[in-house]
Amino acid sequence: MFCFFFLSSLFSYFESQTRGRKSQRRTSHLLNFRTKFILGIRFHISALLSSSPSPFPVLGGSFFPFLFLLLNCSMNSNNASSSAGGGSADSSPPRRNSKRPKYSRFTQQELPACKPILTPKWVISAFLLVSIIFIPIGVASLLASRDVVEIVDRYETECIPADSRGDKVKFIQGTASKTCKRTLTVPKHMKQPIYVYYQLDNFYQNHRRYVKSRSDEQLHDPKSANDTSSCKPEDTSSESPIVPCGLIAWSLFNDTYSFSRNNQQLTVNKKGISWKSDREGKFGSDVYPKNFQNGTLRGGASLNESIPLSEQEDLIVWMRTAALPTFRKLYGKIEVDLQVNDVIQVTLENNYNTYSFGGKKKLVLSTTSWLGGKNDFLGIAYLTVGGLCFFLAIAFTVTYLVKPRRLGDPSYLSWNRTPAGH
Amino acid sequence: MNGWDRVRPSRSRLGGSRATSMSSFGSERHSSSQTIHLGRVQPQAPGHRTIYCNDREANLPVKFKGNSISTTKYNIFTFLPKGLFEQFRRVANLYFLMISILSATPISPVHPITNVVPLSLVLFVSLVKEAFEDWKRLLNDRVINSSPIDVLQEQKWESIPWKKLQVGDIVRVKQDGFFPADLLFLASTNPDGICYTETANLDGETNLKIRKALERTWDYLIPDKASEFKGEIQCEQPNNSLYTFTGNLIVKKQTLPLSPNQILLRGCSLRNTEYIVGAVIFTGHETKVMMNAMNVPSKRSTLERKLDKLILALFGGLFFMCLIGAIGSGVFINRKYYYLGLSESVEDQFNPSNRFVVAILTMFTLITLYSTIIPISLYVSIEMIKFIQSTQFINKDLHMYHTETNTPALARTSNLNEELGQVEYIFSDKTGTLTRNLMEFFKCSIGGEVYGTGITEIERGAAQRSGRKFEEVQKSANAVHEKGFNFDDARLMRGAWRNECNPDTCKEFFRCLAICHTVLPEGDESPEKITYQAASPDEAALVTAAKNFGFFFYRRTPTTIKVRESHVEKMGKIQDVSYEILSVLEFNSTRKRQSVICRHPDGRLVLYCKGADSVIFERLADDNSQVKILTREHLEQFGSSGLRTLCLAYRDLSNDLYERWNEKFIQAKSSLRDREKKLDEVAELIEKELILIGCTAIEDKLQDGVPACIETLSRAGIKIWVLTGDKMETAINIAYACSLINNDMKQFVISSETDAIREMESRGDPVETARFIRETVKQELRKCLEEAQQHLHTVSKQKLALIIDGKCLMYALDPALRGNLLNLSLNCSAVVCCRVSPLQKAQVTSLVKKGAKKITLSIGDGANDVSMIQAAHVGIGISGLEGMQAVMASDFAIAQFRFLTDLLLVHGRWSYLRICKVVTYFFYKNLTFTLTQFWFTFQTGFSGQRFYDDWFQSLYNVIFTALPVIIVGLFDKDVSASLSKKYPELYKEGIRNTFFKWRVVGVWAFFSLYQSLIFYYFVTISSRGGQNSSGKTFGLWDISTMAFTCVVVTVNLRLLMACNSITRWHHISVAGSILAWFVFIFLYSGVMTPYDRQENIFFVIYVLMSTFYFYLTLLLVPVVALLGDFLYQGLQRWLWPYDYQIIQEMHRDDPDDSSRTELLEIGNQLTPDEERSYAISQLPKEKSKHTGFAFDSPGYESFFASQQGVFAPQKAWDVARRASMRSQPRTEKTY
Repeated sequence: MFCFFFLSSLFSYFESQTRGRKSQRRTSHLLNFRTKFILGIRFHISALLSSSPSPFPVLGGSFFPFLFLLLNCSMNSNNASSSAGGGSADSSPPRRNSKRPKYSRFTQQELPACKPILTPKWVISAFLLVSIIFIPIGVASLLASRDVVEIVDRYETECIPADSRGDKVKFIQGTASKTCKRTLTVPKHMKQPIYVYYQLDNFYQNHRRYVKSRSDEQLHDPKSANDTSSCKPEDTSSESPIVPCGLIAWSLFNDTYSFSRNNQQLTVNKKGISWKSDREGKFGSDVYPKNFQNGTLRGGASLNESIPLSEQEDLIVWMRTAALPTFRKLYGKIEVDLQVNDVIQVTLENNYNTYSFGGKKKLVLSTTSWLGGKNDFLGIAYLTVGGLCFFLAIAFTVTYLVKPRRLGDPSYLSWNRTPAGH
Repeated sequence: MNGWDRVRPSRSRLGGSRATSMSSFGSERHSSSQTIHLGRVQPQAPGHRTIYCNDREANLPVKFKGNSISTTKYNIFTFLPKGLFEQFRRVANLYFLMISILSATPISPVHPITNVVPLSLVLFVSLVKEAFEDWKRLLNDRVINSSPIDVLQEQKWESIPWKKLQVGDIVRVKQDGFFPADLLFLASTNPDGICYTETANLDGETNLKIRKALERTWDYLIPDKASEFKGEIQCEQPNNSLYTFTGNLIVKKQTLPLSPNQILLRGCSLRNTEYIVGAVIFTGHETKVMMNAMNVPSKRSTLERKLDKLILALFGGLFFMCLIGAIGSGVFINRKYYYLGLSESVEDQFNPSNRFVVAILTMFTLITLYSTIIPISLYVSIEMIKFIQSTQFINKDLHMYHTETNTPALARTSNLNEELGQVEYIFSDKTGTLTRNLMEFFKCSIGGEVYGTGITEIERGAAQRSGRKFEEVQKSANAVHEKGFNFDDARLMRGAWRNECNPDTCKEFFRCLAICHTVLPEGDESPEKITYQAASPDEAALVTAAKNFGFFFYRRTPTTIKVRESHVEKMGKIQDVSYEILSVLEFNSTRKRQSVICRHPDGRLVLYCKGADSVIFERLADDNSQVKILTREHLEQFGSSGLRTLCLAYRDLSNDLYERWNEKFIQAKSSLRDREKKLDEVAELIEKELILIGCTAIEDKLQDGVPACIETLSRAGIKIWVLTGDKMETAINIAYACSLINNDMKQFVISSETDAIREMESRGDPVETARFIRETVKQELRKCLEEAQQHLHTVSKQKLALIIDGKCLMYALDPALRGNLLNLSLNCSAVVCCRVSPLQKAQVTSLVKKGAKKITLSIGDGANDVSMIQAAHVGIGISGLEGMQAVMASDFAIAQFRFLTDLLLVHGRWSYLRICKVVTYFFYKNLTFTLTQFWFTFQTGFSGQRFYDDWFQSLYNVIFTALPVIIVGLFDKDVSASLSKKYPELYKEGIRNTFFKWRVVGVWAFFSLYQSLIFYYFVTISSRGGQNSSGKTFGLWDISTMAFTCVVVTVNLRLLMACNSITRWHHISVAGSILAWFVFIFLYSGVMTPYDRQENIFFVIYVLMSTFYFYLTLLLVPVVALLGDFLYQGLQRWLWPYDYQIIQEMHRDDPDDSSRTELLEIGNQLTPDEERSYAISQLPKEKSKHTGFAFDSPGYESFFASQQGVFAPQKAWDVARRASMRSQPRTEKTY
């Protein structure tokens, strides 16, 4: 806001300077007391009679125009005295200087300008241009997305023993073994690294109560461990602060996956799955979990208290809260290629309770392209828009040929169209 | 289009009007009495005050107020509370204050910063402005309060500051000094106890006024004498009437009546007098000038009022959105979402066991969250734009600078810039506005003989229309043409009149001209160098004429008039003759005449009288019937040539008669009550049995370029009404001359000058007459209406004109007939109202303003136009030579009528376009922004989680999108200034309010809906899954930052698409705004912000920019979002082009506005031509003030008002002034 007032105050100055004419600066009037007094009286009295002798008092609004005006006045020194008189200067002793406004392109509103007219030609070429640019990008994005091999396995129902499926919540809160085996077949060659995601559904990580239930201070500074005011209700456990506190950390996802191919373990690398800035900036390397998951109700995973938060990457990933209720989070990387028709055995611990709120759980194995994971949206959007523009360009051209309108045809003027009623 | 549709109040362009035509007329019925309030006097305090002069102790018990004044609004302690109070009287500010308070509570989803920052910025800006203005006022007051004045203390003149002055003090004011308070004039250094005062500061009249002290006090001039003065003044209580004063001075047990003639008002200054001595009567805030301090009711533009409706609609939208969210939240909340920690002890807002409370609280949450839908910076931005528009563009437009009077245009308010672009009716005064008010003695008729050979412009124009050709009369070589005199007839000049058949009548004629007036001579006493100070230019012209005929009036003393007479006794003889002035019967608008009783050097006692024909003819002795008939013929002849006429008459008096009359006169003069009325009555006694000498004809010249301007304006769809005090013939002729009426028009004339009415009047029963005229007017109106209706249905295209005179208008404005009058007049393309009073001017203006709901503009130059100027939506004063009253009351002041073209067609139209664009754009950008937030609400379980970071939201309006829209508000031009004037029809777009209809707003709303959906869904959907080749995923803040970036980029680019012309400032501001966002986000996300910055957007932008997703989305989303608008604009332009777009296309290859290139080269220097005319204008000259009432303003209002039992002031100036004080809001409401 400030900068634009400043800018606006420079308009006339700049415009007159660029015209290369030096404004004649008169030395400011050395008003003796009498003149000041007369001006004062005149101002005062006309103020009384009209309550608005000069534009100032009636102009509500902002102060900045005054700066603007002052700047201008310093250039048009002859205006300075007349503004106080507000037009009553008739009767004052004749002054040599005229009240003729100075020419400037700004005040005469003649700044050089280009005047774009949206003629059919322009419309058509703009559409063509968009389609020419968009279609290749669309194709490239779509190809990139199609290159990605993705295996999605929804397991939240299958991983509950058939006899417990009547009351899933009870099962998940019980103590029975929750180990579950899944088999995945690789449909296509998958180049390493292969990313392992878990995808949750109907999970409102963006709920207002959830989002604010954390303490960033506490996360990166060991001295702020007591800073848990925002973490309610998961702030303290038997009077001592929980580190990391808050609902987000408390509900940390705790299903675990391990993979094997042909009975051969596939290592899941869990390093480097979070953004570097989070690791280094937000989570302290000297902050260790404390009192975590100590309470009566256990939410999710617990943390190894001997590892600093900056190395608890599962937590870091989890705490970068998702924007939508359906989200995918990175679990780890498999750093070997998978061949077509490879059968992957997944051993998973189905610990996390999404059953209360009927959320789905999915395990995703995916490669990436330069664009990222499998997401056709960008490619399709680009292609659609490009195609639409192309179609519009054609349509406009056809309309233009079928029903042309001569540019600037006076017969289109409203007063020529209708018989001139009075 | 059928003209009858228009009579219905236009369905207000934004939002249907609630009132039908019938009910709006009905409501006027109630308000009729309101209109009369115009003339109401301020109630005066009862009693009187007694002042003991030169005796501070004696005055002490009364506790008169001191002489210090304060015009400031605040002091140090009241500034903050009062200033803030003023600010929070604006609804928008109050709303944001409430939002800010809400956002400090736990139910708020946003940090208080979000709302506090913009609000405090806006408040800060406004308060600084207020403080600055008040500081200026304070300094001013200080200078005034501490200026020195000489006061009599212990037989010496002591200099004390003004503020120490007390009632009863004896003061001395030196030449050119200002009177520090209202003074009783005691003594002067001038002989005869007179002094001259300049009242320019009070009423703008630049001529000097004479004040005369009572003879008894002349001696109290030197301190020794003055200290002996112990008078007692009994006078009225302080009041605001500048021109009245009643009181008595009691000196040595003698009671002397005081009149305004002895009062020197604060604010005036002393001229041509070494010093005067006076006694202080009223001080400080009780002085008349301070009592006159009035707040001109500030006008708001129609567009702004419609803007309020838009804001209301936004409130409606806000409420609706919040309601949806609130219901959603009540439904959503559930303990099954265990991760939200919704145990039993959860706070109310999330407690699933009471869903109703959850919904209510969420409602408030959402109101804070969506508060951005109301654009907080809109009002500030608009004010700023308008301020720059008026101070930089209108005030400095070289096209509206008038060189001769050295006057640029002046926008006195910046509230109404865009109103100028929508004016549909112009009400114009004639004298001084359409005409130059340059009165030139042109012709005369003496004793039944016409003299003067000139042909007026009007005659010439009439001749051209009828196809005849005038032979240009060669001016005789010795024709004299000076200011005020343009007469050529060898029969009268240089003493040739002696050879005419009636030299004695000629002599009386000239003497009457030279003696019967109130003109003051100034300067050297030679015919070439003298200048005349006159109350009206007519008078000056008449005295100048006398001078040229050889009767040179050169000096005035209080009792004599000295005339240098040539050729009287015999040819070539020049002698100075001194006429003793015995009594002066002054002019006023009821008398319409002026008389002087003088004694010739030979002892002959004569009353010279001049005045309007109607009053003079009534008072003639019956003998000279031949001259009477001839003169009446000549009067009509002059009138039809557009000349202004006055009749001259004289009467010989006997000493005896005079003495008897004078007694009554003196009695009347010293009466305390109803003095004016009594004086008028006494004057009637002697102004009778007059002998007609002849009549004068003065030409009232048209202003430059008036006909062309009127034609342009009428092509622009503006209807022009002329409201004048002139006679019907003159008015019609002027209307012809300025091509307002032509012969192709069907004219309806409603006049009171019919035989039937005259006959009725001669019977002398006013009540009966009134009833009769009323009936006549009623029938006439009905007849005209029917005829007009027929005309519009059958005959095509013939335009209609209505001419109505003041007396008929008085009855036609009656609530019962008003509807008919309005119906008829709205169908006429030209309306001329003649013989109207100032009050009626205002009534007619309000009739159209309120009755037809059209936007009106009044333009005038004199005091009699003040009420009209203030009644209209836009008031324009003609500045320059004339006085200041009209200018003081106006919203804009221009020097010439023809500048209306520039003011309306260029500035007005542009302002309208720009403000429309700014307003709709503000609407769009805030709606778009808020809607993205709204869509997000659906996916957060209606919890009211904010989508954007607090700072994004608070800076969105004040930094990232603020500047470009201001640039557009300043620089956008659809077509150049010269094309605007070449195609005045473009102006109709403003009259129809094409650019700020609900339809336009609807289109914007539709596209902001579309865009917000694109922003939200495109950004979120495309962000699903892993990003980049590293497979990491985004969080909420990554996506919201992405979305915000898209919004900022798109919204700024959208503005560029809406521009008609793009200057480099557009580029700079748009690029600057986008850049500002990036700079901000780079810095902001680069640092860890401490304190309460949960889940901050640390490093978000760097994370985003490391992905291809960012770039692809940034290209895709704005293009898709703008595609809709682009398509719409392309189709609209192609298939349903606006007029301005066609004009743009027609002139697309024209070079850049070249019309002004000549100005470009001159720079600040004057052209030789301009320099010459400027130099001429700087020569000493007669500075005159035509107050309007001199010869053309009958006081019909008095009769009208007296019927209602309301006192109506006689003086036009009073009417105008009181009308201007009508600031009570209740009058506003009742309409």
